[in-house]
Amino acid sequence: MPGHIRSVCVVWVVFVCLMFCSRLTTVGAAPPCTNAQAGCHVLSLANLFDRVIQHSARMHGISNDLHSEFELYFLPSKNQIGRVSRNCHTSSILTPNGKENAQRMAREELTEVILKLLVAWRDPLSHFHQSMARHHDFNNFSSNKSLEISDMVHELQKGVQKMVEKMQMLGIMSNSVSSLASPEALLESDSAEWRLMKNYDLLYCFRRDSNKVQNYLKILKCRIVPEYGC
Amino acid sequence: MMRKAGEIILLLLLPFVMTHADGTHYRMPGKPTLTSCRSPEKETFTCWWEPGPDWGLRTTYALYYRKENSEMVYECPDYRTAGANSCYFNKNDTSIWVNYNITVVATNSAGSTFSDSVDIDVVYIVQPNPPERVTATILEDKGWPFLRVSWEPPHKADTRSGWITLFYQIRVKLEGESEWEMHYAGQQKTFNIYSLRSGGTYLVQVNCKPDHGFWSDWSSTSYVKVPEYYTRERSVWLLIALFSAFIFLILIWLIHMNIRSLKHCILPPVPGPKIKGFDRHLLKNGKCDEVFSTLVVSDFPPTMSSNYEDLLVEYLEVYIPEEHELMLEESKDLHDGFLKSEGSASDSDSGRGSCDSHTLLMDKCGEVKEKQTDQEGGRMGTEAHTQQADWDESHEDMVSPDMSSGRVKTWPSVFSPLPQYSPSPLHHPNTLETAWQQQQHYLSDTLLPADSLSSDLSQAGHNIKDTPSSNYWKFCLSNKRPHLLQTDARWHLQAHSDVNISNISHKEAPACTYLSSLRSTEYVEVQRVNEEDRVLLHPVSSERHDGKDCLQLCHGEDYSKVKGVDIDNVLLLHREVMEEEVDMCLCDNQETNGATESCYTTITPQKPTSCIQAQAMSGYVDTATMFAQPSH
Repeated sequence: MPGHIRSVCVVWVVFVCLMFCSRLTTVGAAPPCTNAQAGCHVLSLANLFDRVIQHSARMHGISNDLHSEFELYFLPSKNQIGRVSRNCHTSSILTPNGKENAQRMAREELTEVILKLLVAWRDPLSHFHQSMARHHDFNNFSSNKSLEISDMVHELQKGVQKMVEKMQMLGIMSNSVSSLASPEALLESDSAEWRLMKNYDLLYCFRRDSNKVQNYLKILKCRIVPEYGC
Repeated sequence: MMRKAGEIILLLLLPFVMTHADGTHYRMPGKPTLTSCRSPEKETFTCWWEPGPDWGLRTTYALYYRKENSEMVYECPDYRTAGANSCYFNKNDTSIWVNYNITVVATNSAGSTFSDSVDIDVVYIVQPNPPERVTATILEDKGWPFLRVSWEPPHKADTRSGWITLFYQIRVKLEGESEWEMHYAGQQKTFNIYSLRSGGTYLVQVNCKPDHGFWSDWSSTSYVKVPEYYTRERSVWLLIALFSAFIFLILIWLIHMNIRSLKHCILPPVPGPKIKGFDRHLLKNGKCDEVFSTLVVSDFPPTMSSNYEDLLVEYLEVYIPEEHELMLEESKDLHDGFLKSEGSASDSDSGRGSCDSHTLLMDKCGEVKEKQTDQEGGRMGTEAHTQQADWDESHEDMVSPDMSSGRVKTWPSVFSPLPQYSPSPLHHPNTLETAWQQQQHYLSDTLLPADSLSSDLSQAGHNIKDTPSSNYWKFCLSNKRPHLLQTDARWHLQAHSDVNISNISHKEAPACTYLSSLRSTEYVEVQRVNEEDRVLLHPVSSERHDGKDCLQLCHGEDYSKVKGVDIDNVLLLHREVMEEEVDMCLCDNQETNGATESCYTTITPQKPTSCIQAQAMSGYVDTATMFAQPSH
């Protein structure tokens, strides 16, 4: 009798595992679509926006954690006075500093700003991660996050680009943003500035810029697809 | 020159001296502190400060700020809008994602005091206003009410354009309660609450928080009353209560029906010793006689046994006169085991047995008897042999007479038909042992070895008066209850109870005692009737015995035949003994069919108890049932 029960249990476990596995595969299911193939699951713009905004929110959260952790470990004495003269390497990018300014900006401009920001942070973050990895006293949590953040920036950038393409396809956005297809062009102007920055300033600046990105994306969304959650 | 320098120094020091002399007038203001800066909608912000002690002087406060990457210092544009000690930055002066360095300066006539600088970024100091237009309504969902709360974001916060994203929170509590129930609503502007208490009044509050910022204050309370839907609940509870009561009653009834088996199952009865017919309560009351009456097996010894050879009863009559007690005392050592020697003449405990303990008896009987055998062997020499021969068939349990002031007490008789009466001393312990085991019967093995017994018996044949060492023996009885000896004189020997045969008068009359254990069919020949109307029995031994000496071993073939019993319960014997009523002397003869001696009862009124039980069967009197009171 116990043998019988055991075999039944094994069968049941296997069955459950199969169910889960199939579920997991289906979740990540939607194969990458190119040119709207047949049977491809097409995402709506609103969904795209939501995904992108969630991604940016997560990115900002990680950047916030990194910054506060860095402040805790490496800067116990809050020496804030010197921070005023902080100069982020992305300060050259003109970003709207207020709601009116942001609303006054055209959606293409805004998108371009977003993309610029995202592009500008890819290299410094990877460099930051490498420099942090050499620090032995930096705990594993931050090290993982620093690695994650650089990937996230890249992912977000690609997502925004995809979204722009969709918008352009839908005719919402003009094709003036086409220059963003080659983001490497944007990097040339301030390629060397970030190397001069200290790590803490880097994190501070990135935290702010990720907030900007998130905010701009929300503005874009409520401007373009306002029916959901605006 | 020196004087001038000194004057200059004095002059220079004067204001300091003056200030120190009168500190109240020229004292710098206390240091102010910036308490908080808040932005309600991420478009404007306000900073508040706490002034320091002003020493009663008129102190002015100014707020200066510097923006990031700029050395320009600006003063607060608006000190009034936000109230006292505040600075309000309007939209034009507010830049998001820009680091502000703010300082407050307190100035009075003495000087200025700078506060600590604070760096702020407006994005991270957003604290919106509470949500507005909070409404709570009761709606019904399939008959069950629920609470729907809806609200509006604060009007200042621009969520429409996506500039601010607000997350909401609701808290609910019943009126009178102290604990709030929190619900997180996310970004939605409505919320449903279920599981309401019927008839209760709820308080609802909402607040909000931007994605990076502080929670707002709670909105104003909304009250909502839940209508009564209790009746439906009540009926359900009523049904449940009835059903459970019904089930409970059934359970009770089932338990009641099976209470016994349950009891047996849960509390199994503890087996205890139980003797049939034995009533413990009577024992507690002290009525030993009645207690042990039930234990007596009425048909044991079998009185109707036809096999007389198996049931040899020996009757012994023991009579010990008082004057011989001393002599008996001397021989106490010998008879210690079975002499009630310590029983002095004043021993009035009629119920107590001669033996102090049966084990004592057992131990001593053997050796004493052996000693006795040795001692008296010489004396009894031939008699012993003869008696032994006589005793071969007989075995009995001797009742040890407890001699005390004229009363002879007998131990309860123990019947053990011993097949062979061997003189070996070893035999006795065995028999004794076996006897002890039997509890049902009052079995006592003969404690005396044959020779000693015989010697005793031979002595018994003697007049007790004559022989000092006579007739005292105790018999260890398998009856282990010494208190059993408290017997009534009327006890029948057949009952195997203690027979307390009181010595009638050891002087006047022979103490007649029964050896109640007489199973052996011993018969005593009636020798004659003496002048005192006593039946004198033929002694076992050839020795003659006194008329008073009734203690005899009745064995032998001589017996008297009873002619008949007359109306007055007089036993009429055949012999030359006259048909007269005499007191009977008793020989233990409990055999129903062995009337060894003729016993007559006197008509004397003092002795109403003596009776003759006539056995009509064989014409022999069962003298075992009779004994005489020593009243003669």
